[in-house]
Amino acid sequence: MTGPVGEAPRRDALVQMYHVSKSYQPGSFALRDVTLEVQKGEFVFLTGPSGAGKTTLLKLLFAAEAPSEGQIVLRGRNIARLRERAVPALRRRIGVVFQDFKLLANRTVEENVAVTLEVLGRPPREIRRRAFEMLKQVGLQHRRHAHPPALSGGEQQRVALARALAGEPELLLADEPTGNLDPELTLEIMDRIAHAAARGTSVIVATHDHSLIERYGRRTLQLEAGHIKEDRPPAGPGT
Amino acid sequence: MTRLAADLRYVARTSLRGLVGSPTTSAVCVATIAVALLLVGAFGLLVQNMQGLLDRVGDDLGVTAYLEPDLDADARTSLAARVATIEGVAEVAVISREEALRRFREGVGAQSGLLDALEENPLPASLEITLHEAQRGPEGLRRVVEALDGLPGVADLAFGQEWVEGYARAVRLARGVTIGAGAVLAVAALLIVANTIRLAIFARRDEIEILALVGASRTFVAWPFLIEGCLQGAAGGVLALVGLYALFRATLPEIESGFSLLLGFAEPAFFAPGSALALVVAGAALGALGSAAALLSGWRS
Ligand SMILES: Nc1ncnc2c1ncn2[C@@H]1O[C@H](COP(=O)(O)OP(=O)(O)OP(=O)(O)O)[C@@H](O)[C@H]1O
Ligand SMILES: [Mg+2]
Repeated sequence: MTGPVGEAPRRDALVQMYHVSKSYQPGSFALRDVTLEVQKGEFVFLTGPSGAGKTTLLKLLFAAEAPSEGQIVLRGRNIARLRERAVPALRRRIGVVFQDFKLLANRTVEENVAVTLEVLGRPPREIRRRAFEMLKQVGLQHRRHAHPPALSGGEQQRVALARALAGEPELLLADEPTGNLDPELTLEIMDRIAHAAARGTSVIVATHDHSLIERYGRRTLQLEAGHIKEDRPPAGPGT
Repeated sequence: MTRLAADLRYVARTSLRGLVGSPTTSAVCVATIAVALLLVGAFGLLVQNMQGLLDRVGDDLGVTAYLEPDLDADARTSLAARVATIEGVAEVAVISREEALRRFREGVGAQSGLLDALEENPLPASLEITLHEAQRGPEGLRRVVEALDGLPGVADLAFGQEWVEGYARAVRLARGVTIGAGAVLAVAALLIVANTIRLAIFARRDEIEILALVGASRTFVAWPFLIEGCLQGAAGGVLALVGLYALFRATLPEIESGFSLLLGFAEPAFFAPGSALALVVAGAALGALGSAAALLSGWRS
Protein backbone atom coordinates (compact mmCIF):
# COMPACT_ATOMS: atom_id res chain seq x y z
CA MET A 1 0.00 0.00 0.00
CA THR A 2 2.85 2.38 0.77
CA GLY A 3 5.01 1.65 -2.29
CA PRO A 4 4.44 3.32 -5.66
CA VAL A 5 2.14 1.49 -8.05
CA GLY A 6 3.89 -1.13 -10.16
CA GLU A 7 6.84 -1.58 -7.86
CA ALA A 8 7.58 -5.15 -6.86
CA PRO A 9 6.37 -5.90 -3.32
CA ARG A 10 9.06 -4.78 -0.91
CA ARG A 11 10.62 -7.58 1.06
CA ASP A 12 9.31 -7.20 4.56
CA ALA A 13 10.82 -9.75 6.91
CA LEU A 14 8.79 -10.76 9.94
CA VAL A 15 11.10 -13.50 11.17
CA GLN A 16 14.88 -13.52 10.88
CA MET A 17 17.10 -16.20 12.37
CA TYR A 18 20.87 -15.82 12.27
CA HIS A 19 23.14 -18.79 12.99
CA VAL A 20 20.75 -20.16 15.54
CA SER A 21 21.68 -23.29 17.45
CA LYS A 22 19.83 -25.06 20.17
CA SER A 23 21.26 -27.72 22.38
CA TYR A 24 19.14 -29.34 25.10
CA GLN A 25 22.06 -31.42 26.36
CA PRO A 26 25.73 -30.60 26.02
CA GLY A 27 27.24 -32.24 22.97
CA SER A 28 24.01 -32.77 21.02
CA PHE A 29 22.23 -30.18 18.93
CA ALA A 30 18.52 -30.13 18.18
CA LEU A 31 19.20 -27.19 15.86
CA ARG A 32 22.55 -26.28 14.37
CA ASP A 33 23.45 -23.00 12.69
CA VAL A 34 20.05 -22.21 11.24
CA THR A 35 19.75 -18.98 9.25
CA LEU A 36 16.47 -18.07 7.61
CA GLU A 37 14.01 -15.31 6.90
CA VAL A 38 10.24 -15.43 6.67
CA GLN A 39 8.41 -12.54 5.02
CA LYS A 40 5.23 -10.92 6.13
CA GLY A 41 2.30 -12.95 4.79
CA GLU A 42 4.60 -15.74 3.60
CA PHE A 43 3.54 -19.40 3.85
CA VAL A 44 6.37 -21.80 4.68
CA PHE A 45 6.37 -25.56 5.15
CA LEU A 46 8.87 -26.97 7.61
CA THR A 47 9.58 -30.61 7.00
CA GLY A 48 12.06 -33.31 7.89
CA PRO A 49 12.19 -36.64 9.69
CA SER A 50 11.12 -37.11 13.25
CA GLY A 51 13.64 -35.54 15.61
CA ALA A 52 14.97 -33.18 12.92
CA GLY A 53 14.20 -30.14 15.06
CA LYS A 54 10.90 -28.83 13.65
CA THR A 55 9.17 -28.39 16.98
CA THR A 56 12.33 -26.93 18.48
CA LEU A 57 12.50 -24.27 15.77
CA LEU A 58 8.89 -23.29 16.40
CA LYS A 59 9.48 -23.20 20.18
CA LEU A 60 12.32 -20.74 19.75
CA LEU A 61 9.99 -18.42 17.86
CA PHE A 62 7.39 -18.17 20.61
CA ALA A 63 10.04 -18.10 23.35
CA ALA A 64 9.19 -21.46 24.87
CA GLU A 65 12.91 -22.17 24.57
CA ALA A 66 15.85 -19.83 24.28
CA PRO A 67 18.49 -20.42 21.60
CA SER A 68 21.90 -21.60 22.78
CA GLU A 69 23.55 -19.48 20.10
CA GLY A 70 22.55 -16.98 17.45
CA GLN A 71 19.99 -14.23 17.12
CA ILE A 72 16.27 -14.32 16.42
CA VAL A 73 14.59 -11.15 15.25
CA LEU A 74 10.85 -10.82 15.14
CA ARG A 75 9.62 -7.73 13.33
CA GLY A 76 12.86 -5.91 14.06
CA ARG A 77 13.05 -6.94 17.68
CA ASN A 78 15.65 -9.36 18.99
CA ILE A 79 13.90 -12.05 20.97
CA ALA A 80 16.85 -14.39 21.48
CA ARG A 81 17.28 -13.26 25.07
CA LEU A 82 13.93 -11.92 26.02
CA ARG A 83 13.23 -10.82 29.58
CA GLU A 84 10.60 -13.07 31.09
CA ARG A 85 8.24 -10.16 31.53
CA ALA A 86 8.27 -9.46 27.81
CA VAL A 87 7.30 -13.01 26.81
CA PRO A 88 3.49 -12.71 27.16
CA ALA A 89 3.33 -9.68 24.87
CA LEU A 90 5.33 -11.59 22.23
CA ARG A 91 3.03 -14.60 22.47
CA ARG A 92 -0.07 -12.48 22.11
CA ARG A 93 1.07 -11.66 18.58
CA ILE A 94 1.70 -15.29 17.68
CA GLY A 95 -0.84 -18.04 17.18
CA VAL A 96 0.36 -21.57 17.86
CA VAL A 97 -1.21 -24.92 17.00
CA PHE A 98 0.62 -27.33 19.25
CA GLN A 99 1.49 -30.83 18.20
CA ASP A 100 -0.38 -32.04 21.33
CA PHE A 101 -3.07 -29.30 21.04
CA LYS A 102 -2.78 -28.07 24.64
CA LEU A 103 -6.46 -27.36 25.10
CA LEU A 104 -7.90 -26.51 28.52
CA ALA A 105 -9.73 -29.67 29.56
CA ASN A 106 -11.98 -27.97 32.11
CA ARG A 107 -13.28 -25.34 29.71
CA THR A 108 -15.68 -25.66 26.84
CA VAL A 109 -14.57 -25.58 23.23
CA GLU A 110 -15.92 -22.05 22.93
CA GLU A 111 -14.08 -20.91 26.06
CA ASN A 112 -10.87 -22.43 24.75
CA VAL A 113 -11.09 -20.31 21.64
CA ALA A 114 -12.13 -17.29 23.72
CA VAL A 115 -9.00 -17.51 25.89
CA THR A 116 -6.89 -15.96 23.13
CA LEU A 117 -9.24 -12.98 22.99
CA GLU A 118 -9.55 -12.68 26.76
CA VAL A 119 -5.79 -12.50 27.03
CA LEU A 120 -5.89 -9.75 24.41
CA GLY A 121 -8.45 -7.90 26.55
CA ARG A 122 -11.19 -7.79 23.93
CA PRO A 123 -14.72 -6.82 25.04
CA PRO A 124 -16.99 -9.76 25.97
CA ARG A 125 -19.45 -9.15 23.15
CA GLU A 126 -16.69 -9.27 20.56
CA ILE A 127 -15.16 -12.33 22.21
CA ARG A 128 -18.43 -14.27 21.96
CA ARG A 129 -19.03 -13.25 18.36
CA ARG A 130 -15.49 -13.95 17.23
CA ALA A 131 -15.19 -17.29 19.07
CA PHE A 132 -18.38 -18.50 17.40
CA GLU A 133 -17.18 -17.31 14.02
CA MET A 134 -13.83 -19.07 14.40
CA LEU A 135 -15.54 -22.32 15.38
CA LYS A 136 -17.80 -22.02 12.37
CA GLN A 137 -14.77 -21.63 10.12
CA VAL A 138 -13.39 -24.96 11.32
CA GLY A 139 -16.84 -26.58 11.25
CA LEU A 140 -17.23 -27.07 14.99
CA GLN A 141 -19.87 -24.54 16.00
CA HIS A 142 -22.23 -27.37 16.96
CA ARG A 143 -19.65 -28.66 19.47
CA ARG A 144 -19.02 -25.31 21.14
CA HIS A 145 -20.38 -26.39 24.55
CA ALA A 146 -18.47 -29.67 24.64
CA HIS A 147 -15.25 -30.12 26.61
CA PRO A 148 -12.08 -31.10 24.73
CA PRO A 149 -11.76 -34.62 26.24
CA ALA A 150 -15.10 -35.44 24.63
CA LEU A 151 -13.74 -34.52 21.19
CA SER A 152 -11.95 -36.66 18.62
CA GLY A 153 -8.30 -35.92 17.89
CA GLY A 154 -9.21 -34.21 14.64
CA GLU A 155 -11.82 -32.08 16.36
CA GLN A 156 -9.36 -31.04 19.06
CA GLN A 157 -6.89 -30.11 16.37
CA ARG A 158 -9.45 -27.85 14.73
CA VAL A 159 -10.26 -26.19 18.06
CA ALA A 160 -6.54 -25.56 18.47
CA LEU A 161 -6.43 -23.91 15.04
CA ALA A 162 -9.49 -21.79 15.81
CA ARG A 163 -7.83 -20.63 19.04
CA ALA A 164 -4.56 -19.85 17.26
CA LEU A 165 -6.25 -17.75 14.59
CA ALA A 166 -8.85 -16.02 16.80
CA GLY A 167 -6.60 -13.07 17.63
CA GLU A 168 -5.52 -12.50 14.00
CA PRO A 169 -1.86 -13.07 14.84
CA GLU A 170 1.06 -11.74 12.81
CA LEU A 171 2.61 -15.18 12.87
CA LEU A 172 0.95 -18.58 12.89
CA LEU A 173 3.03 -21.56 13.95
CA ALA A 174 1.35 -24.89 13.27
CA ASP A 175 2.98 -28.12 14.40
CA GLU A 176 1.49 -31.03 12.41
CA PRO A 177 -1.90 -29.29 12.17
CA THR A 178 -3.35 -32.02 9.95
CA GLY A 179 -1.78 -35.04 11.63
CA ASN A 180 -5.10 -36.36 12.88
CA LEU A 181 -7.33 -35.34 10.00
CA ASP A 182 -8.77 -37.29 7.09
CA PRO A 183 -7.78 -36.09 3.60
CA GLU A 184 -10.93 -34.06 3.10
CA LEU A 185 -10.64 -32.20 6.41
CA THR A 186 -6.93 -31.75 5.84
CA LEU A 187 -7.63 -29.73 2.73
CA GLU A 188 -10.28 -27.67 4.48
CA ILE A 189 -7.95 -26.85 7.33
CA MET A 190 -5.01 -26.08 5.04
CA ASP A 191 -7.24 -23.79 3.00
CA ARG A 192 -8.16 -21.97 6.20
CA ILE A 193 -4.48 -21.55 7.02
CA ALA A 194 -3.69 -20.38 3.47
CA HIS A 195 -6.51 -17.89 3.79
CA ALA A 196 -4.88 -16.44 6.92
CA ALA A 197 -1.59 -16.12 5.01
CA ALA A 198 -3.36 -14.34 2.19
CA ARG A 199 -4.60 -11.80 4.71
CA GLY A 200 -1.07 -11.01 5.89
CA THR A 201 -0.31 -13.56 8.60
CA SER A 202 3.06 -15.23 8.17
CA VAL A 203 2.63 -18.98 8.48
CA ILE A 204 5.04 -21.77 9.33
CA VAL A 205 3.56 -25.25 9.10
CA ALA A 206 5.62 -28.20 10.33
CA THR A 207 4.55 -31.40 8.60
CA HIS A 208 5.62 -34.86 7.53
CA ASP A 209 2.97 -34.94 4.84
CA HIS A 210 4.70 -34.67 1.46
CA SER A 211 1.47 -34.87 -0.50
CA LEU A 212 0.43 -31.69 1.29
CA ILE A 213 3.65 -29.93 0.36
CA GLU A 214 3.32 -30.99 -3.25
CA ARG A 215 -0.30 -29.98 -3.43
CA TYR A 216 0.26 -26.49 -2.10
CA GLY A 217 3.63 -25.87 -3.73
CA ARG A 218 4.79 -23.37 -1.10
CA ARG A 219 8.28 -22.58 0.04
CA THR A 220 9.61 -25.58 1.94
CA LEU A 221 12.40 -25.75 4.51
CA GLN A 222 13.83 -29.23 4.75
CA LEU A 223 15.39 -29.88 8.15
CA GLU A 224 17.70 -32.74 8.84
CA ALA A 225 19.47 -33.41 12.12
CA GLY A 226 19.03 -29.82 13.16
CA HIS A 227 20.17 -27.95 10.09
CA ILE A 228 18.49 -26.72 6.95
CA LYS A 229 19.29 -29.15 4.17
CA GLU A 230 17.21 -27.42 1.56
CA ASP A 231 15.22 -24.19 1.24
CA ARG A 232 12.95 -24.89 -1.71
CA PRO A 233 11.18 -21.83 -3.18
CA PRO A 234 7.49 -21.93 -4.08
CA ALA A 235 6.78 -24.13 -7.10
CA GLY A 236 4.64 -23.32 -10.09
CA PRO A 237 2.50 -20.32 -10.83
CA GLY A 238 0.91 -18.26 -8.10
CA THR A 239 2.16 -18.41 -4.57
CA MET B 1 -14.09 0.52 31.03
CA THR B 2 -15.10 -2.41 28.82
CA ARG B 3 -11.61 -3.75 29.25
CA LEU B 4 -11.99 -3.61 33.00
CA ALA B 5 -15.48 -5.13 32.85
CA ALA B 6 -14.21 -7.91 30.62
CA ASP B 7 -11.31 -8.58 32.96
CA LEU B 8 -13.60 -8.63 36.00
CA ARG B 9 -15.96 -11.04 34.31
CA TYR B 10 -13.09 -13.25 33.32
CA VAL B 11 -11.66 -13.24 36.85
CA ALA B 12 -15.06 -13.94 38.43
CA ARG B 13 -15.83 -16.77 36.05
CA THR B 14 -12.42 -18.35 36.33
CA SER B 15 -12.28 -18.19 40.13
CA LEU B 16 -15.74 -19.70 40.42
CA ARG B 17 -14.71 -22.45 38.06
CA GLY B 18 -11.72 -23.09 40.29
CA LEU B 19 -13.89 -23.28 43.41
CA VAL B 20 -16.48 -25.57 41.88
CA GLY B 21 -13.97 -27.53 39.83
CA SER B 22 -12.02 -28.80 42.83
CA PRO B 23 -14.52 -28.96 45.72
CA THR B 24 -12.36 -31.14 47.99
CA THR B 25 -9.38 -28.83 47.87
CA SER B 26 -11.62 -25.83 48.35
CA ALA B 27 -13.24 -27.45 51.38
CA VAL B 28 -9.85 -28.21 52.92
CA CYS B 29 -8.72 -24.59 52.46
CA VAL B 30 -11.94 -23.25 53.96
CA ALA B 31 -11.76 -25.63 56.92
CA THR B 32 -8.11 -24.82 57.65
CA ILE B 33 -8.79 -21.11 57.74
CA ALA B 34 -11.96 -21.65 59.79
CA VAL B 35 -10.15 -23.64 62.49
CA ALA B 36 -7.34 -21.11 62.79
CA LEU B 37 -9.74 -18.19 63.03
CA LEU B 38 -11.94 -20.08 65.50
CA LEU B 39 -9.01 -20.45 67.89
CA VAL B 40 -7.88 -16.84 67.52
CA GLY B 41 -11.48 -15.68 67.80
CA ALA B 42 -12.08 -17.65 71.01
CA PHE B 43 -9.10 -15.97 72.66
CA GLY B 44 -10.24 -12.63 71.33
CA LEU B 45 -13.71 -13.13 72.76
CA LEU B 46 -12.24 -13.98 76.15
CA VAL B 47 -10.05 -10.90 76.21
CA GLN B 48 -12.87 -8.69 75.01
CA ASN B 49 -15.11 -9.85 77.84
CA MET B 50 -12.39 -9.53 80.48
CA GLN B 51 -11.68 -6.04 79.23
CA GLY B 52 -15.39 -5.23 79.27
CA LEU B 53 -15.57 -6.38 82.85
CA LEU B 54 -12.62 -4.22 83.79
CA ASP B 55 -14.29 -1.23 82.21
CA ARG B 56 -17.50 -1.93 84.10
CA VAL B 57 -15.66 -2.25 87.38
CA GLY B 58 -13.72 0.86 86.51
CA ASP B 59 -16.94 2.81 86.09
CA ASP B 60 -17.93 1.98 89.64
CA LEU B 61 -14.40 2.49 90.81
CA GLY B 62 -14.04 5.25 93.30
CA VAL B 63 -12.61 5.97 96.71
CA THR B 64 -14.52 6.28 99.89
CA ALA B 65 -12.82 8.44 102.52
CA TYR B 66 -14.21 7.82 106.02
CA LEU B 67 -14.00 10.95 108.12
CA GLU B 68 -12.94 11.52 111.71
CA PRO B 69 -16.05 11.46 113.93
CA ASP B 70 -15.34 14.90 115.40
CA LEU B 71 -15.49 16.73 112.09
CA ASP B 72 -18.39 19.19 111.92
CA ALA B 73 -20.46 19.99 108.81
CA ASP B 74 -18.39 23.06 107.84
CA ALA B 75 -15.13 21.17 108.15
CA ARG B 76 -16.59 18.35 106.03
CA THR B 77 -17.61 20.80 103.29
CA SER B 78 -14.23 22.49 103.18
CA LEU B 79 -12.48 19.13 103.17
CA ALA B 80 -14.73 18.05 100.29
CA ALA B 81 -13.80 21.21 98.39
CA ARG B 82 -10.14 20.52 98.94
CA VAL B 83 -10.45 16.91 97.79
CA ALA B 84 -12.26 18.07 94.66
CA THR B 85 -9.08 19.90 93.59
CA ILE B 86 -7.00 16.72 93.59
CA GLU B 87 -5.95 15.79 90.07
CA GLY B 88 -8.12 12.99 88.65
CA VAL B 89 -11.06 13.61 90.96
CA ALA B 90 -14.30 14.28 89.12
CA GLU B 91 -16.85 14.56 91.88
CA VAL B 92 -17.03 14.56 95.63
CA ALA B 93 -20.22 13.78 97.50
CA VAL B 94 -20.53 14.28 101.24
CA ILE B 95 -22.35 11.40 102.93
CA SER B 96 -23.54 12.36 106.41
CA ARG B 97 -23.81 9.79 109.16
CA GLU B 98 -27.59 9.84 108.82
CA GLU B 99 -27.39 9.26 105.09
CA ALA B 100 -24.97 6.40 105.65
CA LEU B 101 -27.35 4.76 108.07
CA ARG B 102 -30.28 5.20 105.71
CA ARG B 103 -28.32 3.52 102.92
CA PHE B 104 -27.28 0.75 105.21
CA ARG B 105 -30.88 0.09 106.21
CA GLU B 106 -31.86 -0.01 102.58
CA GLY B 107 -29.05 -2.39 101.79
CA VAL B 108 -29.92 -4.78 104.59
CA GLY B 109 -33.63 -4.67 103.68
CA ALA B 110 -35.96 -6.92 105.67
CA GLN B 111 -33.57 -7.34 108.55
CA SER B 112 -33.35 -3.57 109.11
CA GLY B 113 -35.45 -4.00 112.28
CA LEU B 114 -32.33 -5.30 113.97
CA LEU B 115 -30.77 -1.87 113.64
CA ASP B 116 -33.49 -0.30 115.75
CA ALA B 117 -31.86 -1.92 118.72
CA LEU B 118 -28.88 0.40 118.31
CA GLU B 119 -28.94 3.42 120.52
CA GLU B 120 -26.50 5.40 118.52
CA ASN B 121 -25.66 5.55 114.79
CA PRO B 122 -22.32 3.68 114.54
CA LEU B 123 -21.54 4.75 110.99
CA PRO B 124 -19.04 7.50 110.22
CA ALA B 125 -19.60 10.29 107.74
CA SER B 126 -17.68 9.90 104.49
CA LEU B 127 -16.71 11.47 101.18
CA GLU B 128 -17.60 9.52 98.05
CA ILE B 129 -15.04 10.38 95.46
CA THR B 130 -15.60 9.65 91.78
CA LEU B 131 -12.64 9.64 89.42
CA HIS B 132 -12.36 11.22 85.98
CA GLU B 133 -12.96 8.61 83.33
CA ALA B 134 -9.36 8.72 82.16
CA GLN B 135 -8.11 8.02 85.69
CA ARG B 136 -10.36 5.00 86.30
CA GLY B 137 -7.69 2.38 86.40
CA PRO B 138 -5.10 1.05 88.82
CA GLU B 139 -2.73 3.96 88.12
CA GLY B 140 -5.22 6.80 88.50
CA LEU B 141 -6.65 5.19 91.56
CA ARG B 142 -3.26 4.93 93.24
CA ARG B 143 -2.45 8.58 92.52
CA VAL B 144 -5.72 9.80 94.08
CA VAL B 145 -5.35 7.52 97.07
CA GLU B 146 -1.82 8.82 97.69
CA ALA B 147 -3.07 12.38 97.63
CA LEU B 148 -5.88 11.58 100.06
CA ASP B 149 -3.76 9.60 102.45
CA GLY B 150 -2.87 11.65 105.48
CA LEU B 151 -5.18 14.55 104.77
CA PRO B 152 -6.33 15.94 108.13
CA GLY B 153 -9.85 14.76 108.88
CA VAL B 154 -9.57 11.57 106.83
CA ALA B 155 -9.67 8.53 109.06
CA ASP B 156 -9.63 5.69 106.62
CA LEU B 157 -9.73 4.96 102.89
CA ALA B 158 -11.57 2.17 101.07
CA PHE B 159 -10.93 1.22 97.48
CA GLY B 160 -10.61 -1.87 95.31
CA GLN B 161 -6.97 -1.35 94.45
CA GLU B 162 -5.58 -4.84 94.83
CA TRP B 163 -8.40 -6.54 93.05
CA VAL B 164 -8.29 -4.07 90.21
CA GLU B 165 -4.55 -4.38 89.78
CA GLY B 166 -4.68 -8.16 89.75
CA TYR B 167 -7.47 -8.20 87.28
CA ALA B 168 -5.83 -5.67 84.99
CA ARG B 169 -2.73 -7.84 85.02
CA ALA B 170 -4.84 -10.82 84.01
CA VAL B 171 -6.38 -8.86 81.15
CA ARG B 172 -2.94 -7.74 79.97
CA LEU B 173 -1.69 -11.31 80.12
CA ALA B 174 -4.69 -12.66 78.23
CA ARG B 175 -4.30 -9.98 75.59
CA GLY B 176 -0.62 -10.83 75.20
CA VAL B 177 -1.44 -14.52 74.93
CA THR B 178 -4.09 -13.77 72.33
CA ILE B 179 -1.78 -11.65 70.23
CA GLY B 180 1.02 -14.21 70.52
CA ALA B 181 -1.20 -17.22 69.91
CA GLY B 182 -3.01 -15.32 67.17
CA ALA B 183 0.26 -14.57 65.39
CA VAL B 184 1.47 -18.15 65.70
CA LEU B 185 -1.86 -19.53 64.53
CA ALA B 186 -2.05 -17.06 61.66
CA VAL B 187 1.42 -18.05 60.46
CA ALA B 188 0.63 -21.75 60.86
CA ALA B 189 -2.67 -21.34 59.03
CA LEU B 190 -0.93 -19.35 56.31
CA LEU B 191 1.63 -22.13 55.79
CA ILE B 192 -1.03 -24.84 55.73
CA VAL B 193 -3.30 -22.82 53.48
CA ALA B 194 -0.45 -21.93 51.15
CA ASN B 195 0.49 -25.58 50.97
CA THR B 196 -3.07 -26.69 50.29
CA ILE B 197 -3.45 -24.06 47.61
CA ARG B 198 -0.09 -25.01 46.19
CA LEU B 199 -1.36 -28.54 45.72
CA ALA B 200 -4.46 -27.12 44.07
CA ILE B 201 -2.31 -24.99 41.81
CA PHE B 202 -0.05 -27.92 41.08
CA ALA B 203 -3.10 -29.89 40.01
CA ARG B 204 -3.86 -27.07 37.61
CA ARG B 205 -0.34 -26.47 36.33
CA ASP B 206 -1.38 -27.58 32.83
CA GLU B 207 -3.96 -24.84 32.79
CA ILE B 208 -1.42 -22.28 33.98
CA GLU B 209 1.12 -23.45 31.41
CA ILE B 210 -1.38 -23.29 28.57
CA LEU B 211 -2.52 -19.80 29.58
CA ALA B 212 1.10 -18.69 29.56
CA LEU B 213 1.57 -20.23 26.09
CA VAL B 214 -1.27 -18.18 24.64
CA GLY B 215 0.24 -15.01 26.05
CA ALA B 216 -1.37 -14.56 29.45
CA SER B 217 0.67 -12.41 31.81
CA ARG B 218 1.33 -13.58 35.34
CA THR B 219 -1.20 -11.09 36.65
CA PHE B 220 -3.82 -12.48 34.30
CA VAL B 221 -3.12 -15.99 35.56
CA ALA B 222 -2.82 -14.95 39.20
CA TRP B 223 -6.00 -12.90 39.69
CA PRO B 224 -8.48 -15.76 39.60
CA PHE B 225 -6.36 -17.71 42.09
CA LEU B 226 -6.12 -14.73 44.44
CA ILE B 227 -9.87 -14.13 44.29
CA GLU B 228 -10.45 -17.83 44.80
CA GLY B 229 -8.25 -17.76 47.91
CA CYS B 230 -10.03 -14.64 49.11
CA LEU B 231 -13.45 -16.26 48.77
CA GLN B 232 -12.28 -19.43 50.49
CA GLY B 233 -10.79 -17.37 53.31
CA ALA B 234 -13.94 -15.30 53.74
CA ALA B 235 -16.00 -18.50 53.82
CA GLY B 236 -13.63 -19.82 56.49
CA GLY B 237 -14.10 -16.60 58.46
CA VAL B 238 -17.88 -16.87 58.33
CA LEU B 239 -17.66 -20.50 59.38
CA ALA B 240 -15.41 -19.58 62.32
CA LEU B 241 -17.84 -16.85 63.33
CA VAL B 242 -20.77 -19.26 63.29
CA GLY B 243 -18.74 -21.78 65.31
CA LEU B 244 -17.73 -19.13 67.84
CA TYR B 245 -21.30 -17.99 68.25
CA ALA B 246 -22.49 -21.54 68.82
CA LEU B 247 -19.71 -22.01 71.38
CA PHE B 248 -20.59 -18.71 73.02
CA ARG B 249 -24.28 -19.62 73.33
CA ALA B 250 -23.47 -23.07 74.64
CA THR B 251 -21.17 -21.86 77.41
CA LEU B 252 -23.14 -18.71 78.20
CA PRO B 253 -24.93 -20.08 81.32
CA GLU B 254 -21.62 -21.12 82.89
CA ILE B 255 -19.92 -17.84 82.11
CA GLU B 256 -22.84 -15.87 83.43
CA SER B 257 -23.03 -17.69 86.74
CA GLY B 258 -19.26 -17.44 87.10
CA PHE B 259 -19.28 -13.70 86.53
CA SER B 260 -22.19 -12.98 88.84
CA LEU B 261 -20.70 -15.10 91.59
CA LEU B 262 -17.49 -13.14 91.36
CA LEU B 263 -18.79 -9.66 90.73
CA GLY B 264 -22.50 -9.49 91.24
CA PHE B 265 -23.23 -8.71 87.62
CA ALA B 266 -22.78 -10.54 84.37
CA GLU B 267 -23.12 -9.43 80.79
CA PRO B 268 -20.94 -11.55 78.57
CA ALA B 269 -20.96 -10.03 75.08
CA PHE B 270 -20.33 -11.54 71.63
CA PHE B 271 -18.29 -9.69 69.00
CA ALA B 272 -19.67 -6.38 67.80
CA PRO B 273 -20.48 -6.31 64.05
CA GLY B 274 -17.17 -4.51 63.39
CA SER B 275 -15.07 -7.20 65.07
CA ALA B 276 -17.07 -9.95 63.38
CA LEU B 277 -16.44 -8.32 60.02
CA ALA B 278 -12.75 -8.01 60.90
CA LEU B 279 -12.61 -11.78 61.45
CA VAL B 280 -14.09 -12.45 58.01
CA VAL B 281 -11.75 -9.91 56.42
CA ALA B 282 -8.81 -11.56 58.19
CA GLY B 283 -9.91 -14.87 56.69
CA ALA B 284 -10.09 -13.36 53.22
CA ALA B 285 -6.63 -11.84 53.64
CA LEU B 286 -5.28 -15.18 54.85
CA GLY B 287 -6.70 -16.94 51.80
CA ALA B 288 -5.36 -14.36 49.36
CA LEU B 289 -1.93 -14.44 51.02
CA GLY B 290 -1.95 -18.23 50.86
CA SER B 291 -2.67 -18.11 47.14
CA ALA B 292 0.00 -15.48 46.55
CA ALA B 293 2.56 -17.53 48.47
CA ALA B 294 1.63 -20.67 46.55
CA LEU B 295 1.84 -18.89 43.18
CA LEU B 296 5.19 -17.31 44.01
CA SER B 297 6.74 -20.57 45.13
CA GLY B 298 5.29 -22.27 42.05
CA TRP B 299 6.82 -19.72 39.72
CA ARG B 300 10.15 -19.80 41.44
CA SER B 301 10.54 -23.52 40.84
N1 LIG C 1 12.96 -30.76 26.05
C1 LIG C 1 13.90 -31.49 25.45
N2 LIG C 1 14.94 -31.98 26.17
C2 LIG C 1 15.90 -32.69 25.57
N3 LIG C 1 15.91 -33.00 24.28
C3 LIG C 1 14.92 -32.56 23.51
C4 LIG C 1 13.85 -31.79 24.06
N4 LIG C 1 12.98 -31.48 23.07
C5 LIG C 1 13.48 -32.05 21.96
N5 LIG C 1 14.64 -32.68 22.21
C6 LIG C 1 15.46 -33.36 21.22
O1 LIG C 1 15.75 -32.45 20.19
C7 LIG C 1 15.66 -33.09 18.93
C8 LIG C 1 14.65 -32.37 18.05
O2 LIG C 1 13.38 -32.53 18.60
P1 LIG C 1 12.07 -31.88 17.96
O3 LIG C 1 10.96 -32.13 18.88
O4 LIG C 1 12.38 -30.48 17.61
O5 LIG C 1 11.91 -32.76 16.65
P2 LIG C 1 10.73 -32.74 15.58
O6 LIG C 1 11.36 -32.45 14.25
O7 LIG C 1 9.65 -31.84 16.00
O8 LIG C 1 10.25 -34.24 15.62
P3 LIG C 1 8.77 -34.84 15.36
O9 LIG C 1 8.57 -34.84 13.89
O10 LIG C 1 8.85 -36.20 15.90
O11 LIG C 1 7.80 -33.96 16.10
C9 LIG C 1 15.27 -34.54 19.20
O12 LIG C 1 16.45 -35.31 19.15
C10 LIG C 1 14.70 -34.52 20.58
O13 LIG C 1 14.98 -35.71 21.24
MG1 LIG D 1 7.70 -32.11 16.59
